[in-house]
Amino acid sequence: MGGLQKKKYESGSATNYISRNKARKKLSLSLADFRRLCILKGIYPHEPKHKKKVNKGSTAQRTFYLLKDIRFLMHEPIVGKFREYKIFVRKLRKAYGKAEWGTAEKLRGNKPGYKLDHIIKERYPTFIDALRDVDDALSMCFLFSTFPRTGKCHVQTIELCRRLSVEWMNYIITLRSLRKVFLSIKGIYYQAEVLGQIITWLVPYQFAHDHPTDVDYRVMATFTELYTTLLGFINFRLYQTLNLVYPPKVTHSQPAVMLHFDLLSEFGFYCSLLSLSKLSALSASLVRVVSTAEAEEAELDHFPAEGEDGEKLAERLKARQDQDRQEKLFEGLKFFLNREVPRESLAFVLRCFGAQVSWDKSLCIGSTYDVTDETITHHVVDRPSLEKQYINRYYVQPQWVYDCVNARMLLPVEDYFVGVTLPPHLSPFVEEKEGDYVPPEKLKLLALQKGERPEEEEDNDDSEEEEDEDQSDDEDELKGMEEKQASSVKVTPGEAKPVNRQRAEQEAKAEEKRLAVMMMKKRDKYLYDKIMFGKKRSVREANKMSAKRKALDEASKANKKKKLKK
Amino acid sequence: AYSSRTLHLQQSARNMAAARRHKRVAASQPGFLRLKPDLDHSASRIGHKKRVNKNKKKNWNKYSDIQDVEEFLEDVRLQERATGGLLSDKSDDGLFFVDVGEQKKKGKGLKPLRIDLILQPDSQVPPPKDILAYQQPNARKLRLMAQKAEKLAAMGVLPRRERLLQRRRIPGSEKPVANNDPARAFYDLWRPDRPDTADPYYLEQTKRRLVKRPEKLNVKPSLLPAVEVAAPGASYNPDFTSHQALLLEAHETEVAKLKAEEKLARQLAVRKEDLATEESVFREQVEGLIEEEEEKLEAEEDDEGTAVGPTAQTEKKTEKQRKREKADRVKELQKKAERKAIDSRQQLFQLRTISAELRRREQQTSVRRTRRKDQQEREKVQPRRLGKLRFQAPDLDVQLSDELSGSLRTLKPEGSILKDRFKSLQKRNLIEPRERAKFKRKFKVKYVEKREFREIQ
Repeated sequence: MGGLQKKKYESGSATNYISRNKARKKLSLSLADFRRLCILKGIYPHEPKHKKKVNKGSTAQRTFYLLKDIRFLMHEPIVGKFREYKIFVRKLRKAYGKAEWGTAEKLRGNKPGYKLDHIIKERYPTFIDALRDVDDALSMCFLFSTFPRTGKCHVQTIELCRRLSVEWMNYIITLRSLRKVFLSIKGIYYQAEVLGQIITWLVPYQFAHDHPTDVDYRVMATFTELYTTLLGFINFRLYQTLNLVYPPKVTHSQPAVMLHFDLLSEFGFYCSLLSLSKLSALSASLVRVVSTAEAEEAELDHFPAEGEDGEKLAERLKARQDQDRQEKLFEGLKFFLNREVPRESLAFVLRCFGAQVSWDKSLCIGSTYDVTDETITHHVVDRPSLEKQYINRYYVQPQWVYDCVNARMLLPVEDYFVGVTLPPHLSPFVEEKEGDYVPPEKLKLLALQKGERPEEEEDNDDSEEEEDEDQSDDEDELKGMEEKQASSVKVTPGEAKPVNRQRAEQEAKAEEKRLAVMMMKKRDKYLYDKIMFGKKRSVREANKMSAKRKALDEASKANKKKKLKK
Repeated sequence: AYSSRTLHLQQSARNMAAARRHKRVAASQPGFLRLKPDLDHSASRIGHKKRVNKNKKKNWNKYSDIQDVEEFLEDVRLQERATGGLLSDKSDDGLFFVDVGEQKKKGKGLKPLRIDLILQPDSQVPPPKDILAYQQPNARKLRLMAQKAEKLAAMGVLPRRERLLQRRRIPGSEKPVANNDPARAFYDLWRPDRPDTADPYYLEQTKRRLVKRPEKLNVKPSLLPAVEVAAPGASYNPDFTSHQALLLEAHETEVAKLKAEEKLARQLAVRKEDLATEESVFREQVEGLIEEEEEKLEAEEDDEGTAVGPTAQTEKKTEKQRKREKADRVKELQKKAERKAIDSRQQLFQLRTISAELRRREQQTSVRRTRRKDQQEREKVQPRRLGKLRFQAPDLDVQLSDELSGSLRTLKPEGSILKDRFKSLQKRNLIEPRERAKFKRKFKVKYVEKREFREIQ
């Protein structure tokens, strides 16, 4: 025994962490600058496991950072830029205070700035890394681009966000990779698949603004600064992968104008306002580096991946075909948007699936044809009634477009005519597990997707009954479907056998299962019972829900009848 | 005196002659008009002319009379000064005007200042041109040099001065474009470039390359997705059941909040027993007035009770006692050792029980381990406590059944997306939850009535 007595808090977790204030002092930055730096560099506070030890015996709540992170921060060249900026502000303030306008002007000319390129490269070493983190960037850019220009943040930031979001939308249109849309009361959720990455983003409705007071705008602006840089580089790369010209240009008939645009872009002059607004109209396709005829892609050969058998390959092929079909959902259709519908969102969604879109000339730039065009197939209207109607086109409410996209098929338009009460807009982001409650609307949709036509609405009661039957039990429904399938095939004498065999197989399986359950150990049996109980419970709950729904429907129907009688 | 008189005489004679000759000179100029009235007043004073020999050059200068020429030239100069040219050259319009009586002057206020008039140049003769001002020294040399420089520039050779300046410019020191400039350009950031072959340590130390980012920093602090999609009940036109489910959820959170509030209120409420009754108030008032004497007595009694004489002394142990105690201790130890030996021997027969016990313990630890792991997994999606404040989950955005519009046109958006994003950042542990800094007044506000106001009152 011997040696020096160990002192407290000189090793272990106490030395691995550093409090925020100490870190700030170590970097000699103000708190605001420190926070900005941490956000830009992606260094987040850390909750230590043993707070009291880290806090040297005190139990006060503090924000801690890992010491190694802060040491890493000290190498950042931007820290120096922050200090320069601080000095610049001080000098400028002094010049203004002394009313030395010339000095102030000179100082303003030499305002120090910094770049975030190296930080993006450092945080996202590969392009895929960056693409994985684009959700946040997109949501933020779309949000900021809708801000009013009232000084809550820089107008320039808003404009940049607008530019980037428009570029992104145009890219998605060209790639045709939109998958899901969900109109919620908050905003519109979009989901797209880009280079194998599922990307979800949230777009606010237009003119939906209240500025909450409990949000730190400075923090949000810093995040936006980072994300705009990130999104810009991502956009550039994505445009490059599609052989598109960046900054994007819309295809134009006059070559002289094209040349003009070329010159502009060569000198780094992007977005003359006109071109941005034309882009944001989303109605024209983009210019490619190589002309489209040459860039036409050949049909891809399909090779099985390693460790993939034929079945999986077929499955993959089928999925691929489905996707192709979905991408051409609105191909050949001609839409006209009335002025009360959300133009940008609808134009975006429709163009993503190959439709032609136009709107009133006075509504926005970029309309390609008029209301009077005879070839229009669908007219999107969101008002209770329309005075002048053309015979050769459907008048549908905007929800039809979104529901079609989510259902991956053209839904019957009857439910979405003008003035009709709309069916509910279901969330495409919900995936029901077996035994969960599935709303009847979804069931109908699934049936439609399988290729069954719904019963005619004339004998309302009959169809309802059938629906009820469908809902009464999952297994019943399954059997019913099987029967339907069987009935669709012509009955021949030889057909009876396979049914029997199937049945026998099923019975054998059930018997096997029963025996296996009997042979189970007590402990396993307990677990098994528990699981089965849970399943039964969920089924029971689902049944209860559907019964409720049925009661509600009946009540509403009775009400309707009463009203009709009156 | 004589000489002066003779000089005068001479002078006058000469004058007379000059006038005469001037007349002659002017007359010899065809169409010449004189500005000044005729100087021919000397005709009356004609004296005799002095005769001088003209065979000497000296006399030519001395006695030849050039007064007439000079006067003529003087007159020409005067004409040029006063009228800007010879009168004879002027047109009639420039010399005469038609008198139509007095005209009213227009623009009274436009009369120039007298001081300006004084400062106007008196003469109408334009100043002579400075020829030197139009000449350049070494013009030819310079021209040749410029030509040479042009030729070199066309070949791409910069002059030395420019070259030196270029060498001093540090790459990357150009002023960067602002990060939020809407016209900023982007490039392919992830383009594979040539790897540096130099020593990485050298590059880092000379700041040619940034310090490598630790891998650990690229791990996200939370597993939550960046954009959490709203529940199906939050659709703008939801189906009945999912809307009800969402409403139920919102209701439950609200109830939980209320319950917590109520609990706090209950705990902070004053207990009934603690409230002052009439009796307790009275007792407090008379505290120390009645029982004082009794207490005193008691205290005295206590004093008597405790005040016993000196404490009992511990007696010394005898040798015998010590030995006995020692023997007892040894015996005890032996007994213990024996017991232990017997027990361990007995354990041989308890093998089954022991192994059962071991199994039980192992199972217990494994259960605990899984539980701990589950907890850790759960914590990865939980917001951590990163500062003074805990993360406060935002209220669920819900529209009640009668608030639902059923049409996209009449939809009223609920909640703020900005707040949603901000809370999402907090929830994912990217920023610590903070409170808005409260405004603190440094000095007290002083209210003073203004004098005018006071005077009115």
